[in-house]
Amino acid sequence: MDFEITEDMKDAISKARAFANKYFNEELAAKSDSMEKFPMELVELSRKENLLDYSNPWKVLVTIEELCRRDPGLGISVTIPAFGSEVLMLFGSDKLKEKYLNQVVAGKAIMGLGVTEPGGGSDVANIKTEARREGDHYVLNGGKMFISNGQIADFFIVLARTSPPPSPDKKHRGMSVFVVESKSKGFTANKLHGKLGVRATNTAELIFDNVEVPAENLVGEEGKGFYYIMTFFNISRIYVAAQGLGIAQGALDRLMDFASKSNNINDAGELKEGIQFAIAEVATRIEAARNLTYKAASFLFNFNPNPVVTSMAKYYAAETAVYAAKTAMEITGVTGLSTELERFYRDSKILEIWEGTSEVEKLIISRMMMKNQGGN
Amino acid sequence: MEEEYEILENTVKDFNAKYIENNALKIENEGITESLLKSLSEQGFLSMAYQVGAGKNLDMKAYSIILENLAKVSPSVAVKVLITNAFLSVVNEEEVLSEVSQGSKSGTVVFSELLGGYNSKERLKIENGRLEGKKEFVLGSNSDYIVTIVDSGELVLVKSGFKSVASHKKLGFRGLEFSTVSFDTKDFSMIGKEGIDILRKTYDEMSIPISAVALGISEGSLAKAIEYGKVRMAFNHYLKDFQPIAFNLTTNMAELSILKQYFRDITSSNPAGRESLYLKIRAIEIAKEVSKNSLQTHGGYGYLEDFGVEKFYRDSMALSILFYNEEKEMEKLAEMIFESRAGFV
Repeated sequence: MDFEITEDMKDAISKARAFANKYFNEELAAKSDSMEKFPMELVELSRKENLLDYSNPWKVLVTIEELCRRDPGLGISVTIPAFGSEVLMLFGSDKLKEKYLNQVVAGKAIMGLGVTEPGGGSDVANIKTEARREGDHYVLNGGKMFISNGQIADFFIVLARTSPPPSPDKKHRGMSVFVVESKSKGFTANKLHGKLGVRATNTAELIFDNVEVPAENLVGEEGKGFYYIMTFFNISRIYVAAQGLGIAQGALDRLMDFASKSNNINDAGELKEGIQFAIAEVATRIEAARNLTYKAASFLFNFNPNPVVTSMAKYYAAETAVYAAKTAMEITGVTGLSTELERFYRDSKILEIWEGTSEVEKLIISRMMMKNQGGN
Repeated sequence: MEEEYEILENTVKDFNAKYIENNALKIENEGITESLLKSLSEQGFLSMAYQVGAGKNLDMKAYSIILENLAKVSPSVAVKVLITNAFLSVVNEEEVLSEVSQGSKSGTVVFSELLGGYNSKERLKIENGRLEGKKEFVLGSNSDYIVTIVDSGELVLVKSGFKSVASHKKLGFRGLEFSTVSFDTKDFSMIGKEGIDILRKTYDEMSIPISAVALGISEGSLAKAIEYGKVRMAFNHYLKDFQPIAFNLTTNMAELSILKQYFRDITSSNPAGRESLYLKIRAIEIAKEVSKNSLQTHGGYGYLEDFGVEKFYRDSMALSILFYNEEKEMEKLAEMIFESRAGFV
């Protein structure tokens, strides 16, 4: 067992750090946050500088971590244009890959994933969006909610029901995945305003009103959509965990900076123990979350995914991000309140909600462990 | 609860229904309007501390009931009432008191020096009868009057000649302006030479009212979570049917109910005493915990301002920073408990 990160990862971290140093500034971050404006210019720059090397997932993971450490809203925005691409990569036909995936990888298109619905939340098996086959195409009707890149994506991977479930306890069957272009007739995206955090990211509600999708845009086999999406979540949750590591580390950086500069020295000439303990507790949680995330990533990147460890990583890293931001806010007081740290506090909370709430992650962990599927 | 307080509670609830509930989001985004200020004044909410000057004792229980119930719907409005009454309790000029308590003018007190993490480089000096400089972290910075401490230690009432120059980030209480204020004026008067002592006494005596705001935040956010749990379905069940959600919210309710009973019991005790600090410490912690649980119960919808839950999450943290210096207050409490200086290493 070797806990050293590779030279490739070190290079990716350095590159991400240099990119953030050069282009992430407080003015842009604050503007993107207050105006809820997606920083497209940063995405363009990241493409130009080949910031994300999709050929090496470890490099993508540490890049997300490093960018979110500097600013969660900007960091997530820069690393999210290919959201959902793994579905195409794993299950799409060569034709779909060529037409859509290559565009995203080449930085010429943005994509999104449409799974969550207004009445569904984490309950993916209960989605209501339907796709009806009519000759050489499908007709989609329904809606999706909280969709990242909703207004800016060129196309979406959309989960829809193509046949009724065979029985009430098998609702996950009869669903399929499609590539739906945002320019399709009958497609509407309404931007969601007034989010607590990650306001730089673009989030929307999608509406499909008799949207015609060519039959060739069906991803993989009809009826296997639920399985494809769950497979995707087992990948994306690792990247969400990386967002959590970055946010937590960024909060710790700011807490330590505050501790080193302010008048926090006790009568013995040392940093007050209350602050020392807080630093130690946050740092320990980050280290534990990082080891868990890298372990989950190691399983996945070696083609042996372990959903239990993945869910543990996502749940724990999200909780760590929220805990770190809260602790840093409490100790830095008005200093934290008046700096970018307050954004970390608002941004971090989404990690306990998106890509499966913490409650859903806990259910996955316990149910699979009870079946002896995964874990150690 | 005695009948007179029940009547008062219902009056505040009616006020919320008439003026705040349908405008809560607008207040967050556009601020507290002059007409709302006037309505608050007409109810007597802005003159609780002024009545003390008229020879009456502050009815802490009544004051707390007002703050608690306003905070259930809009913590911003509750904090506006809180800082206005703090202002009235330190100012002794009849004309100013009259204007502010009637809502025709507004006033605030700058507590920056007492807050955790305060390390400002800005200076505010009196030279040749002129007040010049800046003060950071002024909550209610668009007020007509500002009470603030100056570098030489005096507490002054500034009546004109100041303006907001840099808006701070607004994690919470977005209905109020929160800025650095620049002063350049001769239009000020002295409140007292030992400014920090006056400020500290005022702040210490706010423990119960601040706890009332915290309780209101907890009650407001918990009520929303419970209602949502009854109507929102997932996995073929209402959210309330799931053990973790039901038990978490029930635990929150149990803790809150015990705290509320304690709150009712001590409103007539020393407002700067040990019990008030016990209450404040727990009330603020519970507000943060309950508002977090409420947001989580709402899932993605809780993250959107339209559902009126995320503001409690922000405001509870803002309350703990702008009205609670954990380190100093724990030191004070520890000294009472250990009967000598404690908790300083």
